[in-house]
Amino acid sequence: MNVLTKITRWAAGLGRVFRNELRLIVRDPGVLLFFVALPLAYPIVYTLIYNPEVVRKLPVAVVDNSCTADSRNFVRMAEASPSIEIYAYCPNMADAKELMAEGKVFGIMQIPGNYAKCIGRGEQAHVEFYADMSLLLRFRTFVSALTDLQLEIISDITGERISQAGLESLAAGGSLPVKSESNFLGDTEQGFASFVIPGIVILILQQSMILGITMLGGTSRERRRRNGGIDPKEVAGVGATATIFGKALCYTVFYFPLTIYIMRYIPEIFNLPHYGSAVDYLLFIFPMLLSTAFLGLTLNIAMRERESAFIIIVFTSVVFLFLSGLTWPRYAMNELWTWVGNCVPAVWGVEGFIRINSNAATLPEVAPAFKAMWILTAVYMLTALWTEKMLRSKA
Amino acid sequence: MSLGFIQGVRREVRQMTSRRMYLFGMVIVPVFIAIFFLSILNKGLPEQVPTAVVDLDHSSMSRSVTRSLRALQLLDITHYSESYDDALDDVRDGSIFGFFVIPANFEKDALAGKSPTLEYYTNMTYFVPGTLSFKGFKTVAVATSGGVVKETLVSLGVSPETITDVIQPVAIDQFPLNNPWMNYAIYLCPSFTMCTFVLMIMLMTVFSITMEIKNGTSVEWLAVARGRMSVALCSKLLPQTVIYFCVGLFILWVLFGYAHFPLNGSLGWMIAATFITVIASQSFALFICSVVPNPRLSFSLCALFGILSFSFTGFSFPVQSMYGYLAVFSWFAPIRYWFLIYINEALNGVGLYYSRLYFAALLLFPFGAAAMMWNLRRACLKPVYVP
Repeated sequence: MNVLTKITRWAAGLGRVFRNELRLIVRDPGVLLFFVALPLAYPIVYTLIYNPEVVRKLPVAVVDNSCTADSRNFVRMAEASPSIEIYAYCPNMADAKELMAEGKVFGIMQIPGNYAKCIGRGEQAHVEFYADMSLLLRFRTFVSALTDLQLEIISDITGERISQAGLESLAAGGSLPVKSESNFLGDTEQGFASFVIPGIVILILQQSMILGITMLGGTSRERRRRNGGIDPKEVAGVGATATIFGKALCYTVFYFPLTIYIMRYIPEIFNLPHYGSAVDYLLFIFPMLLSTAFLGLTLNIAMRERESAFIIIVFTSVVFLFLSGLTWPRYAMNELWTWVGNCVPAVWGVEGFIRINSNAATLPEVAPAFKAMWILTAVYMLTALWTEKMLRSKA
Repeated sequence: MSLGFIQGVRREVRQMTSRRMYLFGMVIVPVFIAIFFLSILNKGLPEQVPTAVVDLDHSSMSRSVTRSLRALQLLDITHYSESYDDALDDVRDGSIFGFFVIPANFEKDALAGKSPTLEYYTNMTYFVPGTLSFKGFKTVAVATSGGVVKETLVSLGVSPETITDVIQPVAIDQFPLNNPWMNYAIYLCPSFTMCTFVLMIMLMTVFSITMEIKNGTSVEWLAVARGRMSVALCSKLLPQTVIYFCVGLFILWVLFGYAHFPLNGSLGWMIAATFITVIASQSFALFICSVVPNPRLSFSLCALFGILSFSFTGFSFPVQSMYGYLAVFSWFAPIRYWFLIYINEALNGVGLYYSRLYFAALLLFPFGAAAMMWNLRRACLKPVYVP
């Protein structure tokens, strides 16, 4: 038998496995739930959850000990901010604390009794702001609103004081000698959905695929147990290598339409940042799909039954979310978790896709992640081969 | 205590010890998760954000700005780029999270009163490092501007003591209550660890109930309990409750004993809340199993709900800001009430009175499960496994 016939035979075996696996997928409602319903529905549900993007009108209690025109002006300026809503005026701190304990306000603003006096005398007045820290997003919103408020008041009063001191030349045009300007890249509106969704959708791709593969694997394991170590629905007479390649290609090809839907249309439907070129991110994601398929096939070693996937795989989504550096940057992790993260295809996938999608990076600019995913593909191909051989040897 | 109950407990203990899956799902995963979150977030605040300075001026004033940036604990100036484009490339390939641009002729223009502009760019696609670098850049920009004003005023004869009053007439002092360090671990660890724990409780409860139906042992299970569904369920779930409660105590010890997270209220009520949350989560899963007594569907529903609870229970994005039709789901999540109790009791220490409704809500879950038990009984008597 010459090499050519060997290759054709190998490819034919691969093709049979491919077709057979496709048949198993479309006839299994449980697997279709993971392979189709989950990637279709989850991105929409997640985006809807975070779609309000920013936190607005946070209720605040005011304790105004000054009760003057100046202090009322201060509160008016505070309420003009889109982030702050004055929920109530309280006569004292005790009442305001009570409102906070009941969860009706998330901040308390206390204006001291000498506020107007300080302003009138040209001295510095201190306003106190107490923030509830149950959610950092609220605190962050307060901080930026208060900073803006402070700058606004400064430009109001400072201008006045400078001209009182007879230094008009400095206040000319109302501009400071050095100006500053902040610019936000990627997620320019600092919206929550715009930040979190591009990462989450990639995790959904990986996790749904692994769940589906391991459910197929667990089901096959049950059939093996019932039939004396042989799965009657597997293609017989095909080598281990052709089998895992046939399966992995089947899963990857099956995921193409869903990947396009997730990477191209989800950001467009919800008006999230979407800058990169489709060629770049679709080429980029290919090794992630392939390595994920092999990873799933590897994990089949632990799947003793159909439902095992739920217990072994589902919780890892949370772990992978953190390893990806989306919520907690990777540079702040210790080496152990960096390395564990390096072994997860979606960790690279999230990083690369965010840069392409939100920062308009090109494929060469995310080359390290792209290469890492190809290395993972090779490694998990070998481990998947090992799993396949182990499962066969048990027959 | 009826004989059926005792025999049922023995049967359940035998079952739990016969499969490694129980040990894995009930103990190993929650313990691992508690350690995982603590260890991955151990820095508290991801300071030293990799950033760049683009100095186009190369003057003594621009070097002093660069020095101020380098002195900040928040930032780690890893790159000194020569142009805006270079810095942007570094943002794209991920080596920095933001950069600070000092324009050409900065010193000359500042001294001549021509108001040059300091620009800073932060990559908000990564929220936390983006926000921190923004904060660092803003501090330096404002300080630089203030410094120049100060110098000018002094040179014009204003006394240095009154300068602050002129530059900053109103100071807003911020007090972040009970987490003055703005430590991320304090607010991420407890909620995420417990939420994963609740997810595992739900999945393992579904596992232990639906496997009876799948393996066709449900008839025998009911027979041991003398045909009474409530006895059968108690004998199955209570031994698990004991194990979950021990794991829950371990998690609380990790959070408050080992990591010393703020515990301004009573530990007793936190333990009580954790205990009731365990039962509420079991009840939730039991309810699902009773409504759809099919392994695949009840597993899928619990996994779906458990994973989505990380989002719609408002650990990071507040429930009050969500669309109403999604926020409503948070009412059905046991972890939501645990989270609110945690904030009141542990973080803010405001007293049990303010958490009364949350405790009451958790206590309602078992009733919901009990109301649907008849359907599970029906399915257990004639077990049909739909793959």
